[in-house]
Amino acid sequence: MVGICSYGFYIPKYRIKTEEIAQVWGKNPDEIKKSLGISEKAVASIDEDSLTMGFESASMALNGSNISKNEIKFVFFGSETHPYAVNPASTIMAEFLGIEKNYLAYDTEFACKAATGALISGFSLVKSGYSNYGMITASDKGLAKTHDPLEYTAASGSVSLIVGKENIILELIDTQSFSSDTPDFWRREGIRYPSHGGRFTGKPSYYHHIHQATNLLLQKTKLVPEKFKYAVFHMPNGRFPVEVARGLGFSKTQIERSLVVNYLGNSYTSSALMGLVSVLEKAEENDLILLASYGSGAGSDAFVFRVTKNIKKGRRLFSKAVEDKKYINYPKYLKFIDVI
Amino acid sequence: MTSPVKIWRRQKEIRKFLGKTGTIVSWTKIFISGRGFKKYAPYPVIMVKIDNNQKIYGQLVDYENNNLKIGSKVIAVLRKVREASVDGIIAYGIKFKPLYENN
Amino acid sequence: MISLLDYYTTKFGELWEKSLSDLIQEAVNGVLKSSKLDKKQIDAIFLANMLAGVLENNLHTSAKLAELVGLNIPIYRVEAACASGGVSFNLAKNYLDANSDKNIIVIGAEKMTDYSPEETTQALSGAASGEEQEAGLTFPGLYGMMANFYFEKYGYSEKNLAHVSVKNHFHGSLNEKAQFRNKITIENVLQSPYVAHPLKVMDSAPISDGASAVILSNNQSIIRKSKHAIKVLSTQVINDTISLKSRKKLDEILATKIAADKAFQESKLKRANINVAEVHDCFSIAEILALEDLGFWKKGQGGKKVLENSTRWGSNSHLIVNTSGGLKAAGHPVGATGIKQIGEIFLQLTGQATNRQVKNVRYGLAHNVGGSGGTAVVTILGN
Repeated sequence: MVGICSYGFYIPKYRIKTEEIAQVWGKNPDEIKKSLGISEKAVASIDEDSLTMGFESASMALNGSNISKNEIKFVFFGSETHPYAVNPASTIMAEFLGIEKNYLAYDTEFACKAATGALISGFSLVKSGYSNYGMITASDKGLAKTHDPLEYTAASGSVSLIVGKENIILELIDTQSFSSDTPDFWRREGIRYPSHGGRFTGKPSYYHHIHQATNLLLQKTKLVPEKFKYAVFHMPNGRFPVEVARGLGFSKTQIERSLVVNYLGNSYTSSALMGLVSVLEKAEENDLILLASYGSGAGSDAFVFRVTKNIKKGRRLFSKAVEDKKYINYPKYLKFIDVI
Repeated sequence: MTSPVKIWRRQKEIRKFLGKTGTIVSWTKIFISGRGFKKYAPYPVIMVKIDNNQKIYGQLVDYENNNLKIGSKVIAVLRKVREASVDGIIAYGIKFKPLYENN
Repeated sequence: MISLLDYYTTKFGELWEKSLSDLIQEAVNGVLKSSKLDKKQIDAIFLANMLAGVLENNLHTSAKLAELVGLNIPIYRVEAACASGGVSFNLAKNYLDANSDKNIIVIGAEKMTDYSPEETTQALSGAASGEEQEAGLTFPGLYGMMANFYFEKYGYSEKNLAHVSVKNHFHGSLNEKAQFRNKITIENVLQSPYVAHPLKVMDSAPISDGASAVILSNNQSIIRKSKHAIKVLSTQVINDTISLKSRKKLDEILATKIAADKAFQESKLKRANINVAEVHDCFSIAEILALEDLGFWKKGQGGKKVLENSTRWGSNSHLIVNTSGGLKAAGHPVGATGIKQIGEIFLQLTGQATNRQVKNVRYGLAHNVGGSGGTAVVTILGN
């Protein structure tokens, strides 16, 4: 048995409301809220980046558990906004955490699913006996061009997971990946903001890959949607996860708790995982959870997890942390993302 | 003058302060800053007595004005401490956040 | 016996036409002329300067000065941030203790306005610790922390500080070499923009150019011939930690206290004997702390005492402070300040302070500080 033994998360303090952005560009905020399903998003301050946020979520995962730093023998950092193009954030983070040096580290990239891919590798390393525990961190300071639809959704946040085979709170039942070459969303070297293919990001990209990965997984595990207490999908906006859930046969009730995008925006690699954190605040022993991430380019990693009795001790308070927020205006937002 | 090696040596030192709590001994708010801090100005800088009686400095972030007083409780967090040049090493270091009782 | 024979200072201010060398040249020539000594009678020179190396890559200034004066004598450059002047004077006096029958020029000089305020602020922050600089603390920031601590402990506010700047500007209006000749009001100070809370532009010494020089001698026949020689009764340098956070107390500069105690002990004088003092008001709070740390006022009373305006020229009190205008109004070319302070005391003690002359002065004190209190120099001169 392998699974997740501890987890942590970090959401920056600041929020900007959809109407604050909309009024700058002369758009109707109600229309945007309806089409994107986002009322506000989390914004990281000028002095935060994916590394500082990753450190916060990883600290929470580590400090809130009995796991010794010395037992963590691999550290993977997944992001699409790495602090450096060449220089591993995984080792910077591990060093600050005090994880000492005979460990494996690497940084991963696969748009919004950089971390879940590393998660699968992490589970395999534990299963194969390579290490008792490992840290997987997802972290992004999402940037978007101003006056672009992504401006309402691109947000910041981080989730860290410690995987292992003892004291598991979330048991891994099985996992399935689906990958292809689909250019729906990308960012070239040296270019600050990502570009996207508009409506091409929908049916052939997001929906197709999540459908494939999830259906294959359900077949493999001989499970049907009704068996699950919760379903969590990657959330590029408030509408896509609702529709992909419906298309797969999951109900509104099953995904409701996970829809953090409505009030946090899309924190890229940590988006689906943040939905999982929200679910875990309420999940009970023996609940089955389906999680499917999506990374543009493209691919989906689907997981079936079972909640164990250890959730009682391992649960983190989430709703309260989300409420610790401060609204900022558009000029301050531009200052924080270093545009002015 | 900062160099990557100086940053490297320094980061080993600051590691031990991360997550530590303390109280504000004194504070100021910098309006006119030196090079490398302009993006953050105006910003408060505090002198903190951490719970083992050592004193360290750091900027205060994510704060309300009523947190900026002598005796307030704070916790050390990791942030970027100065503007990096577009091709230079990023300096990470200690800053402080107000510590609320129910944290 | 070591005596101060003469003094010359350039104007302080934004002296666009003059380079550092020009300023040094003017001060050296000026003090030689007024003392009627020939440059060949000078046995050594001590030069105080803080920023030439950082701002204009100007090092080995001793040789540069040798070229300017055309002499083959020992020339010593001294750096101790804003206390460079005071420390160079102390070293010069020690040199005379060790070498008999010598005449020395001690000159402090600084050129700060060739560069942007940002570059100069950056350079000045070299007087703070690495950690302080890394936290984004500037000089004003360090004194700002001291001020906020002092306010909280003794119940004062920005208004108390404002009285210091108003007095010093009044003195500056009486000093033709001062950078600022305008009088200001409490309102002017309180409405000026913040530099580092609670210190505002009008609480802070400016960026200035200038050079000041004195002639020190232990050659008794030269001293006897001099019109107005003043005895150097004591000069003491004390160092303390560079970091503000490592000091024992945040509301005092310990180096000042110790240097003052030693200077009074050496000169065998009491605080009440001092009629004029030049103290280090890099920021208004610094003057308040100085008068307490030097032992003239009780610790914590300063904020209240400044409201009495007793240290202002024209008041009946027995101690007048910063008739030069202080650092605030006279200007603060860093290396020159310590010498200017000593020079101003010299002018007072020799009756040459013209329209700001204090009556019945016998003993005077100069107080020079480096950084946030890492160095303090106390010098006592007398008739």
